[in-house]
Amino acid sequence: MRRPLAKMPPFIRANDITLVFKSKNRDPVTALNNLSFEIERGEFVSIVGPSGCGKSTFLNMLLGLVRPDSGHMQMNGTPIKGPGQERAMVFQEFGLLPWRTVTANVELGLELKGVAAAQRTQRAMELIKLVGLNGFERHYPHELSGGMKQRVGLARALATEPEVLLMDEPFAALDAQTRDLMQAELLQIWERTKKTVLFVTHSIEEAAYLSDRVIVMTARPGRTKQIIDINLPRPRDYEMRLTPEFNEIKSRIWEVLKEELIPGSRR
Amino acid sequence: MKLKTFCTEHESFILGTGFIVILLALWESVPLWYTLPKGMALFFTTPSKVAAAFQQLLINGEIEKHFYVSAIAFLAGLGLSIVVGLPLGLLMGRSQTLEALLDPYVTSFNASPRIVWLPLMILWFGIGIWSKIVIVFAGAVFPLLINTYAGVKNVNRVLVNVVRSFGANEWQLMKVVVLPNSLPYIIAGLRLAIGRAILGVVVGEFFGSSQGLGYMIASAATNYKVDVVFVGVAIFMALSVILTLAVKQLESRLASWRPETAKTF
Repeated sequence: MRRPLAKMPPFIRANDITLVFKSKNRDPVTALNNLSFEIERGEFVSIVGPSGCGKSTFLNMLLGLVRPDSGHMQMNGTPIKGPGQERAMVFQEFGLLPWRTVTANVELGLELKGVAAAQRTQRAMELIKLVGLNGFERHYPHELSGGMKQRVGLARALATEPEVLLMDEPFAALDAQTRDLMQAELLQIWERTKKTVLFVTHSIEEAAYLSDRVIVMTARPGRTKQIIDINLPRPRDYEMRLTPEFNEIKSRIWEVLKEELIPGSRR
Repeated sequence: MKLKTFCTEHESFILGTGFIVILLALWESVPLWYTLPKGMALFFTTPSKVAAAFQQLLINGEIEKHFYVSAIAFLAGLGLSIVVGLPLGLLMGRSQTLEALLDPYVTSFNASPRIVWLPLMILWFGIGIWSKIVIVFAGAVFPLLINTYAGVKNVNRVLVNVVRSFGANEWQLMKVVVLPNSLPYIIAGLRLAIGRAILGVVVGEFFGSSQGLGYMIASAATNYKVDVVFVGVAIFMALSVILTLAVKQLESRLASWRPETAKTF
């Protein structure tokens, strides 16, 4: 029997995360300061904040590549100590291995886990189909457009069947139209696969369009400034972006973020 | 028409060989239009005489004997330097401890001429094959090691993070990212190493050997057999060209995924 929601621990919890960058010849820089939040299973949560506020670094922490100086991160009640199969990242600059074909790139995670060749190829084919790259299985990354490269990045992240998808400004390098298209397809895939998504972006519009909640971070040192619920109906489509309700939410996020972007307006 | 397309397709080849043929013909014709003074004529030869000497040495088995000795020293020394230099370069690039331990030796050995070791090698290993192998190895191992190390140091950080995020261990990281990413550096190192290895063979045989192509050149020179000297020189030149082509072939096979460079106007 399912326990009541209120008693369940949050799916992902970050508690009092602090990170200080220390380097030679320079004063230490506090990148993150007492960052805390919780995310429920299946949620789509975006993080927005000024450049250099530590959003990407925080994503790398959740991925298990960066260790915080203090604070706790846990997922499913287990502390995060290094990379794990339940978490996968879609990288900003795609991060595809240029000497591998599309299929071999999608297989990467499975290969490192020791999955048999036939099995992982089959799984890769399913995902290539899911992201709409049929016919490009044997192409190399340099033969693909930016949008197609990020489809490969998404397929690779999904291949290992993670519970959480961490996305670090995945569409920042794409042109505006490809971006709109990819956002719509990401929403479809999210609705189909029921993953929990943590999405870092610079774009308020993108955050509002995709998310259930938007976490606005402060300028460095990064903390949670405010969490804004996006109560817009799903499934969402492009036309929804033209409604007054959508614009009202965008301006609410902007009002919060503005104080961090414009020096002096912060108390 | 057909001839014209053939010519444009093989332009660089035709120009290259054509120029060599012209130079050889000019060289051959020198005695026809200029009488060398007696003292100089002793040290002069023509391509046809070199070819005749080559044929002679081929028939009496001299070349085969010397070539075999040199080839063994070259292959053994180069092989050893690949087996040692490549893994050591990879490890030095990844481990700061190893880097700190080995860097002083690598820097000082690489910067000093290897020939200074030859007398010691001859004392220790005699004038047989081993002193030559050691000299070839000492020459070839550093370009390979240093280039591999540089390749590892320049590895793409994002790709390393991607692979680590899937829980890869250090060995998998090496195999999946670090090694493929360093390949262009390693190939460049291999090309340098081949040059150094040939140099090592020749120098080793000049001074510390009684066999091999280098010895053949040195002893022919002491006996004023200029055409035999040229035979040796030509063999080394031909080998260098062949080996360079082989490395290029290897490179283009390993880098078949690379985008072709766009043609410019």
